[in-house]
Amino acid sequence: MQDNKEVKTEFKPKILAFCCNWCAYAGADLAGVSRFQMPTDVRVIRVMCSGRVPPELIIRALANGLDGVMILGCHPGECHYSEGNYLTRRRAHVLKRLLSYIGIEPDRFQLGWVSAAEGAKFAAVVKETTDKITALGPNRWVDKK
Amino acid sequence: MKATSEEVQTRVKKLFEDGSIGHFIGYETGSDSLRVTPCFLKSGQAASRLVWNPLCANNLSKYLLDFKNVEGKVGIMVKGCDSRSVVELLKENQIDRDKVFIVGVPCSGIVDREKLLEVLGVSPGEVVAVEDDGDAFVVTLKEGKQRVDKEKALRGECLVCKYPTPVVYDVLLGEAVSSLPWVGDDYSLIKEQEALSSEEKALYWNRELSQCIRCYACRNICPVCTCSECIFDKKAPRWITKANDVSENLVYHLVRAFHVAGKCIDCGECERACPMNIPLRSLNKKVEKDLLELFDYTAGIDVEQQPPLTTYKAGDLDDFL
Repeated sequence: MQDNKEVKTEFKPKILAFCCNWCAYAGADLAGVSRFQMPTDVRVIRVMCSGRVPPELIIRALANGLDGVMILGCHPGECHYSEGNYLTRRRAHVLKRLLSYIGIEPDRFQLGWVSAAEGAKFAAVVKETTDKITALGPNRWVDKK
Repeated sequence: MKATSEEVQTRVKKLFEDGSIGHFIGYETGSDSLRVTPCFLKSGQAASRLVWNPLCANNLSKYLLDFKNVEGKVGIMVKGCDSRSVVELLKENQIDRDKVFIVGVPCSGIVDREKLLEVLGVSPGEVVAVEDDGDAFVVTLKEGKQRVDKEKALRGECLVCKYPTPVVYDVLLGEAVSSLPWVGDDYSLIKEQEALSSEEKALYWNRELSQCIRCYACRNICPVCTCSECIFDKKAPRWITKANDVSENLVYHLVRAFHVAGKCIDCGECERACPMNIPLRSLNKKVEKDLLELFDYTAGIDVEQQPPLTTYKAGDLDDFL
């Protein structure tokens, strides 16, 4: 039998972060070993390059019930593969606007540049995104039965 | 002067006679007088079947893909919008310019069948013919003629059409149309949508997309959807489930809008094919607007122009974290 007792719990968002192998993932590592405090709502997926993350993955993640998605890569001009992050930057502009057009708040999708030396920035970006998405509440587009 | 059906017929006949083309793709009258269907010719003998009138809605350019391996040139009839999808096909090396003979016809608006019938308040059987007459359509009914203002009976994409004359052609029939008088701000509807709150937008699209039965008609008819294996047909990885679920529909429509980004020329075929009347053009038009604003890009104008999402500039707008 289903328990009808309403349990008021604080909203904890589910956030996905695609981190590039060369910068953001190393930045996340550094944030860890440096023991920076940050929210624990972010799940990291390591990819070889931020340019490897197509919009399909972001859309799929949001439709699967995640409350926010991030792509974190090398700073423009510092891509390990020269141009991956430039291409992802162009796509992100279009995707952000398209998501906003159908009612997914643009803040649910973030693109950020974190280098391998920026552990503190990684922690700050994670905190900022988590705060924004917590304020937005759950992703209303999901109606999985 | 506007091109007439007779003009098209004689020209096509001549093209077959002097051996310029081996096949021709045009329009012929369909199952009722308000329908026009694609017509495929192998010789000039049947050229008298061809028609050209304000009912010729189909974008024929996708059929060029089926004629890739035939001998000789393929002739095709294109309106302004269709010619832009031909440019996109050329850009992607889907077709060979030397194997296509393009007969361009300047177009001053195509009839929206449903809208016209509603304005007239008649059944399709009562309509005999529709003709173009400046800012109105002259509809010949079984009893008498009637003029219908174009703005009341045009297809949505024709109301915002900026390219009524083909941008690429080998021969142009009739006089070029430089602009259409009713076209103003082509993004006014998009701007209205953008101004809504996130909640209103989500509600609107939830309602619209929940109707989708995922028949994939919009994909199949789309002249720039040319992948031999579509991402939505793939089994591994399976990007989309068969579940009847609005979030799956959302994935389908957003990914599709993204896949035709920078290629969509707003011919409106997706919306015309949709059995559930989902406002699909709205999504594509939004992407089109953004690409214009962000990267100053308009699809289907210049074969040499690089698609905006396959290139970059170091100085692109960067307002990210």
